Amino acid sequence: MPRQLLEHYPQTGPRYDELLSAPWTLRPHWRVLFDTLVRARPEQMQERLASVRRQIRENGVTYNVYADPRGVERPWELDVLPLVIPPDEWTQISAAIAQRAKLLNLILQDVYGPQQMLAEGLLPPALVYGHAGFLRPCHGLKVPGDIHLHLYAADLARSPDGRWWVLADRTQAPSGAGYSLENRLVISRVFSEQFRDLHVEHLASFFATLRDTLAQHAPEGDGPPLTVLLTPGPYNETYFEHAYLARYLGFPLVEGSDLLVRDGKVWLKHLSGLRRVHAVLRRLDDDFCDPLELRADSALGVPGLVDAARRGNVLIANALGSNLLETGALLGFLPRLCERLLGEPLAMPSLATWWCGEEAALEDAIARLDTLVIKPAFPQLRIDSVFGADLDRKSRAALIAKMRARPHHYVAQELVQLSQAPVWDTQHPRRLAARAVGLRVFACASPEGYAVMPGGLARVASDRDARVIAMQRGGSSKDTWVLTHGTVNTFSLLRRSVSPAELVRAGSNLSSRVVENLFWFGRYCERCDNGARLLRATIGQHIELDDIRDHALTALCQHNGLLPAEPGDDIGAALRAAALDPAAPGSLAGGLHQLSTVAFNLRERMSLDNWRVISRLTDELSAAQPSEPGEVLERLDRCVQAMMTLSGFALDGMTRDQGWRFLSMGRRIERLQFMCGVLRHALAAAGDAPDWLLELADSTITYRSRYMTRPQWLPVLDLLVCDETNPRSIAYQALGLTDYLARLAAQFGALEPAALSDAVAELLSLRPEADLHTGSTRLDTLLERLGSAAYALSEQLGLRFFSHSDGVWTGTEERR
Amino acid sequence: MTQVRYHVLHETHYRYAWPVSMSRQLLHLTPRETPRQTTLAHRVDITPVPAERERRTDYFGNRVEHISVGAAHEELAVLATSTVDVKRIGDAPRPQSPAWEHVRDRLHQVGPAPLLEPCQYLYASPHIEPLAALARYARLDFHRDRPLFEATCALMRRIHRDFEFDPEATTVSTPLETLLKQRRGVCQDFAHFMIGCLRSLGLPARYVSGYLLTQPPPGQPRLIGADASHAWVSVFCPGAGWLDFDPTNCVQPDDQHITVAWGRDFSDVTPMRGVILGGGEHVVEVRVTVMPEGDARPARTCAEATQPLEPE
Repeated sequence: MPRQLLEHYPQTGPRYDELLSAPWTLRPHWRVLFDTLVRARPEQMQERLASVRRQIRENGVTYNVYADPRGVERPWELDVLPLVIPPDEWTQISAAIAQRAKLLNLILQDVYGPQQMLAEGLLPPALVYGHAGFLRPCHGLKVPGDIHLHLYAADLARSPDGRWWVLADRTQAPSGAGYSLENRLVISRVFSEQFRDLHVEHLASFFATLRDTLAQHAPEGDGPPLTVLLTPGPYNETYFEHAYLARYLGFPLVEGSDLLVRDGKVWLKHLSGLRRVHAVLRRLDDDFCDPLELRADSALGVPGLVDAARRGNVLIANALGSNLLETGALLGFLPRLCERLLGEPLAMPSLATWWCGEEAALEDAIARLDTLVIKPAFPQLRIDSVFGADLDRKSRAALIAKMRARPHHYVAQELVQLSQAPVWDTQHPRRLAARAVGLRVFACASPEGYAVMPGGLARVASDRDARVIAMQRGGSSKDTWVLTHGTVNTFSLLRRSVSPAELVRAGSNLSSRVVENLFWFGRYCERCDNGARLLRATIGQHIELDDIRDHALTALCQHNGLLPAEPGDDIGAALRAAALDPAAPGSLAGGLHQLSTVAFNLRERMSLDNWRVISRLTDELSAAQPSEPGEVLERLDRCVQAMMTLSGFALDGMTRDQGWRFLSMGRRIERLQFMCGVLRHALAAAGDAPDWLLELADSTITYRSRYMTRPQWLPVLDLLVCDETNPRSIAYQALGLTDYLARLAAQFGALEPAALSDAVAELLSLRPEADLHTGSTRLDTLLERLGSAAYALSEQLGLRFFSHSDGVWTGTEERR
Repeated sequence: MTQVRYHVLHETHYRYAWPVSMSRQLLHLTPRETPRQTTLAHRVDITPVPAERERRTDYFGNRVEHISVGAAHEELAVLATSTVDVKRIGDAPRPQSPAWEHVRDRLHQVGPAPLLEPCQYLYASPHIEPLAALARYARLDFHRDRPLFEATCALMRRIHRDFEFDPEATTVSTPLETLLKQRRGVCQDFAHFMIGCLRSLGLPARYVSGYLLTQPPPGQPRLIGADASHAWVSVFCPGAGWLDFDPTNCVQPDDQHITVAWGRDFSDVTPMRGVILGGGEHVVEVRVTVMPEGDARPARTCAEATQPLEPE
């Protein structure tokens, strides 16, 4: 066999090797893929690696790392080589996982019901009553179909003898299934022939089963069935996956503030009112789901959700309280519970684990600390796992003291030698390296029992000897290829054929929160565009004349909040701060920051190109700031271009639904206010019409092509105030807003923007010969009225369409 | 066996700085039925009138009511009135109790026939974390082989002696570690502390919320709202069942204590717990009046009329 690839690959060692059965001997199921690697030209592999990176970047796959200085997100790490599992081995894993899911579901059913297992002494009361995850308000809750676990995951590891072990169970809101899917899309493209030839099992039908089972068990009534995916929001570590799965499964992605409970039912706050929610696939921890009955300090949940579930009016998956089984302390009791509840032996063993809440276990754990890993007993405890062997005398004593003070907070687990799998060494042209791997596998409820996803999320440690694999600690991932002897089920959720009855026009699935964010996205885009143009004109003049002769420009900067009322002596420095310093009040940089925050909240609705423009702007914000005025101007140019690009996307890339309309209204309200201010300041300065007026309104070219003269007031005012065809004119904004409002009124009932209608009537009655000149009081009054009408309209829209979601639920609890 | 009949008024009045657009509350205001206590009449009047009211029994067997007020309001008033008969224990002989270690070992025994009900109250709960320091404190009274009842009485006396009543010293979230250091607080703190001591020894103890009859100063009439809601401790003693101890007053509750609800700690039985939308800052005023039947009509501290009591 060609040795070059394996030159640096360990041939022997204490671990099980996924690739080699003996030194220089491949396991048969790796043959095809390995041959591909051997035959591949270096450029071909380079192209594959590049393709993986490109797809990850372009799909925006990220994983948020809480402590990462790079901010809230980091690109997903994916190795180009899949983990390959042969058919017969998979059959065993799959059966064991299905059995385990069934068992855990029965345990939950018992604990949140009759508690027979406790009465029989098969489950120690301590593990239930002493567990912070045992949610008493959820006892006796109606669980549709008795399915507590709709989606279950297990973390597996393979010991040196080749056996698979369960390290941990994920029972409340397992993450990773979406990342597995994304990994699959990427890797099946770079090895498409091998993927087909090896008969790799597809993943899609697993997700269809999940979706269909939810639909089947959800309660009915009040309109068509609706399942939502409940996320804690964009700052969660796996938010990408929430958005990705929501889109893939066709569920609206909602946050707690999008939902409310009324009459014991759950409703989604919609632009057009409330829509009944029948099922909630949650990614929110269960104790955060309802501040009324569960954790009172949770701002992420939905008050009354537990009661809605209690009344059987909503399916929550996984059932509230299922976090209980994520404790390592339970593992030791599963074999007997399995015999008792299923009448058969537990198919896959769990790694030996003891709860230190039992005194004997605590003493034993302390005595054998060197051979154990000490972990938090309950996931609610934010405690890092510690390897006893790593501790020096002092930290060892400290840990023991902590364990003695709060023994119930700890479990002790045996160490496992993880197996190793090949990864492509990206630092070398042709080299495989070995890394420790673990496998997260998934099961979902189905009418025929639990279905196991043929594949999974292989997690790869950051170095060969790692004992912990956690994405939070910089690990990477792999696609998992499960081979089959038979035919592959090629069902695809993405290619599911849509019947004519299912055709959707003009997205009606807009939550109030999304609409509100779109509106502010429009306003901030325009505000940044205006700010950049204004600063460009002002700084330009400052450079050219080494002075700002035109006080109207400084006044205008002050009017728009870019410059403080007292800018100080160094006007150049003040202008630079207005452009680049995010901390300067009202600065352009601050505005860009707000824009990216709003965009972040809209991320699942943004196209990748849109997103890229915004991330480039944010990157530039955090980069070193130039001090030369010329460089500042270049920055401003790029900002104006970026804003034009974003507005181009909105114009060309969005369907004309109500969401787009709110975005456009935000934009026009902002522009109307800005232009009214600009014109009033220019008019007040008297003298000739200044060049910057046309420049700020991006109308220089139009003006020149029409008049070929220096700016004169009459034609300038006609172009900027009255010309309905100029997208920067006052008339264009005002008439556009009137049109949008009429459309909104047609769908949602009358809106009465009285101030705007009156001002528009006045605008249409302007006579060029009498009113379009400096010193016209009528014109000045009209501009002032339009400016305040825009402000009033924004407030009115907020109250009417957004006001549900800006409230904050606060807890009240009296002290006795 | 003699018994006393009480009329209890429990008024809670929230005033908010800004209108509250939506309010959901859980009320633990209905006295429990116990072998020694019967509720003859009970009602809860709420202003503004809630859009939804729903009653149920919680995990611990307490009566709980779920209310939701959907209309904007700047004040929320909840008046619970109850008529309760409480039987007197009087000078019954002290219960025989096993050595405390025996109780501890029996409850921690892993295997068949566990005593599940007391096990509910054996472990950490939101406001009570068992700590070695608390066990050390309790050990001063829990000598080797001392009968549980006797040792618990001694612990109650010690807490009563060591701690000073001081409503300013603590908040609802003051941890037990701090209490141990500062030794000041209110009845809720003393109850939490004593429960913490018992659980740290591996003994089951629960938190009881209710009312206490107080006596007006000699020669003065009883005032409405002069009382407060109260909290004490209940300890499981095999053979005798749950026995109450009131560390604030250093007594074993008898016919002057009226039980409303019990749970692991205050958080399970908060008289009113809720979430509101809006409201800003709020002030809450709570007034409790416990009137033994046959007592003179109490004087009023404000113009509000007493609600007539109606049987349910």
